Amino acid sequence: MIPIVSDLAPLVCGVLLAVTGASKLFGRRTAQLAANTVLVRVLNDGRRAGLALRAVGAAELAVAAALLAVPDTVAPGAATAALGAGFVAYLGYARATAPESSCGCSAKAEGPIGVRSFARAGLVLLGGAVAATASGPWWSEAGRRPGWSVAFVAAAAVLLCAVSADLDHLWLLPLRRLRIRVFGNPLAGAGGGPVPVVASVELLEQSLAWQAASPIVRSALLDHWDDEGWRLLRFAGVYEAPGRGARPVNVLFALDLAASIDTTASPAVRVSVIDDDTDELVPVDLLAATGARTVLPMAR
Amino acid sequence: MSNDTPDRRGLDRRRFLTTAALGGATIVGASALGGLDADAAFAAPMPSLDPAIAKSAFAEGRISQINGSVLEVAGSYGDRHLIQLTNATSIWKLRPTTAADIKVGDGLYARGVDMPDGTIAADAVWVNIVNLYCTVKGIAKDRLHLTHGAQEHAVVGRIVGDTTTASYLGGALTSDLSRVRIGQSAQILGAWRPDDDSIDIARVTVGH
Repeated sequence: MIPIVSDLAPLVCGVLLAVTGASKLFGRRTAQLAANTVLVRVLNDGRRAGLALRAVGAAELAVAAALLAVPDTVAPGAATAALGAGFVAYLGYARATAPESSCGCSAKAEGPIGVRSFARAGLVLLGGAVAATASGPWWSEAGRRPGWSVAFVAAAAVLLCAVSADLDHLWLLPLRRLRIRVFGNPLAGAGGGPVPVVASVELLEQSLAWQAASPIVRSALLDHWDDEGWRLLRFAGVYEAPGRGARPVNVLFALDLAASIDTTASPAVRVSVIDDDTDELVPVDLLAATGARTVLPMAR
Repeated sequence: MSNDTPDRRGLDRRRFLTTAALGGATIVGASALGGLDADAAFAAPMPSLDPAIAKSAFAEGRISQINGSVLEVAGSYGDRHLIQLTNATSIWKLRPTTAADIKVGDGLYARGVDMPDGTIAADAVWVNIVNLYCTVKGIAKDRLHLTHGAQEHAVVGRIVGDTTTASYLGGALTSDLSRVRIGQSAQILGAWRPDDDSIDIARVTVGH
């Protein structure tokens, strides 16, 4: 194994395990986090799951201390590899039985188990195996080739960041923002078409016509179509005509096709109520209930 | 419930309804009726709505079986509902659609009226509707990458041409999605896709 990799692997693995172990063992949210992992089902108890997660944290801390203190012995590296293998097996089991559960790997906010969780556990396994082959302590390698050592540790840090969702806000999101700034917004140019139907419905629902007709309307939007510059919106309703009982009706609203709350606050809306069985226009005085107001003359 | 023949729902039906709607309709225009601001609403309080509305029944759950126009729904709390669709039932699945789009396994939220036979005659059905508070993590041509909740669950929101709209503060719903920013909080209204667990976005609300 290349000395700089094998000799510095204990340092990288040690720091990683120290950070994740400490956050599991001492983290205030460990119990809450454990509740979302598959451990709860395995151990049948949320409290025991929390304790198990803290115990794993303690083991990680112990291995980290050994890696950092006696890096040129085989045992710490082998223990790290064993931890990594255990993580991979645990993730495989959790993924197969409860894919929506959290992995609990780093005791931070975690999404469901994905490629990155496996990559991280695989790196621990690989790092442990490499660390077991260390020929000398990391501090003497660092003293011998400080420049290369810094470069190696930096590269390892970048790799670990890439597989940690916790750190996305530090590098991934700024990178994506930069890409949009440089290459343009992929969603630009989609606007500018006709007014969406939902915008017509939004305008309708803020109109007096809607308020006046709402006692009759029962359904949500049933159908819509455009005709001669009008947008027609069809709703189903029930109208109780005096002396005739309740009748199923269609309530039709017609609005200017180009109108939205951007263009007008007070749309003119044509409202008609049509009997669903007989197709007759039902005369409804929609404005009777809204107080004494004048109606615009009929359009012919 | 009246029987619906295909042409009744077809273009001829629309043509007829257009003529009826544009011919003799009452025009309710705020210009003649006074403004519809908050003051006007207080000055002329609305009458109570249809009393039947208060008796509305609600149901939600997963569709376990479809028998003709009756949906058998297994509720989230172990309850069971029979939802009767009629030709007056509005059906939403990302957009207004027909009963043909409803599949076994879909989630459902329905509002209607309890019938004596134990079914619910649905006035409105929303299929697979979800309403999530998310953070925008990435923007691509046909999708938004989102995370949801304290656990930061990754969610893929698909952008559907001619359907996905955006709501920005103080503006009308628009098909222009270019003002959505990475890192923004966004409310996502959409239709869940059971096949791949992603969401077809109906509306993304940002900046409110």
